[in-house]
Amino acid sequence: MTELLNCAMDIGEQLLVCGAEIHRVEDSVKRICEAFGAVRTDVFIITSSMVVTVHDSNANTCTQTRRIISTGTDFEKIHCLNALSRKICSEQMTVSQIQTELARIAAVKPHPLWAECLFYAIISGAFTLFFGGGFIEAAVALVIGGLIRFAMWVADKTVGNRIFSKFLASFAATALAFAALKLGWVPTVDNMMIGIIMTLIPGIGLTNALRDLFTGDSIAGLLRSIEAVLIALAIAAGYFLFAALGGVVG
Amino acid sequence: MTFSEILQVITGCIGSFGFALLFNVRGKRLWIAALGGFLSWLIFLLLSRFIESEPINYFIVSFLISIYAEIMARVMKTPTTTFITTSLIPLIPGGSLYYTMAYAFQSDAGRFVEKAVYTLELAAALALGVIAATAFTKLFCNGLRVMGGKAND
Repeated sequence: MTELLNCAMDIGEQLLVCGAEIHRVEDSVKRICEAFGAVRTDVFIITSSMVVTVHDSNANTCTQTRRIISTGTDFEKIHCLNALSRKICSEQMTVSQIQTELARIAAVKPHPLWAECLFYAIISGAFTLFFGGGFIEAAVALVIGGLIRFAMWVADKTVGNRIFSKFLASFAATALAFAALKLGWVPTVDNMMIGIIMTLIPGIGLTNALRDLFTGDSIAGLLRSIEAVLIALAIAAGYFLFAALGGVVG
Repeated sequence: MTFSEILQVITGCIGSFGFALLFNVRGKRLWIAALGGFLSWLIFLLLSRFIESEPINYFIVSFLISIYAEIMARVMKTPTTTFITTSLIPLIPGGSLYYTMAYAFQSDAGRFVEKAVYTLELAAALALGVIAATAFTKLFCNGLRVMGGKAND
């Protein structure tokens, strides 16, 4: 039973780390345990921790907890894990088969740094145009967008705090945007800043947080809401700090 | 449609595509996400000709796109979040948030409060649309199952 619970916990943990909704994770863990013949499964999951107890037909119980350090959003992994848990529920799989599958999924590599820089650049450039910027502004935002992803990488490697990374990214973006303004490349910083900020703001985080709240996962919803608010404040703080230092807004 | 509107629809689509890449969406699902971004801003622009209130428009678009996401998720056998998260990107009130920040810095209290409230209204409308669509889909699917003689699983 411990082995089975281990498997279910591994899948649940991976789902949470990749940013799946709480409701989905609880559901998957429960279904997997039941597919293996658990009579009763009690699952309690929030964004940072999992507690699962299974009861088998001989009245034995087994409980495990896991501390979750969530990283980012990886829909490819969530897709594979979801397919795996469906497979476990529909056909008989042995524990070792599941472990092989899990190892295969864990080996799916995230994007390399240069690719993420490129995606940030594309998003920043596209949204600068979207919010009414000109093509030159978009080109400058494109470059800045790529650079701030690199700045965030440096912050992650050295300080290792997500909120601080966003603060630094916002500070760097503001500094570079105003530098471009001073050099006379662009007429205003507003559109570029919006384009770049689109890559940083926790819009999706907030939407997911509200979804969690409304679907009954209040604690997870609150935790995610607070994180979204903190990130928004960090972005504002980065912008304020540079604007105050440079005294250029107005 | 004006040139700037066409440009917005295209760049909105690219934005969604960019986020889908960033969130490691792969294969066909990538194109569905980009199409969602394209549709979301297109519908928003078309509806804005009839609906004056932006938050109400946001709610309707967010509802429709979430339904699109729910359908596509079932077709592609993948979690709905994949498409909701990426398709609604053009609706995220980044502009409004930026101006809230800028007014706060300029100590322009009047305009700051106005923008802050507006940003919250847009964000709430967006989230409510998603939630309404989730509830609607559950109602619809479970309703079908009950009518088909099978009780909910």
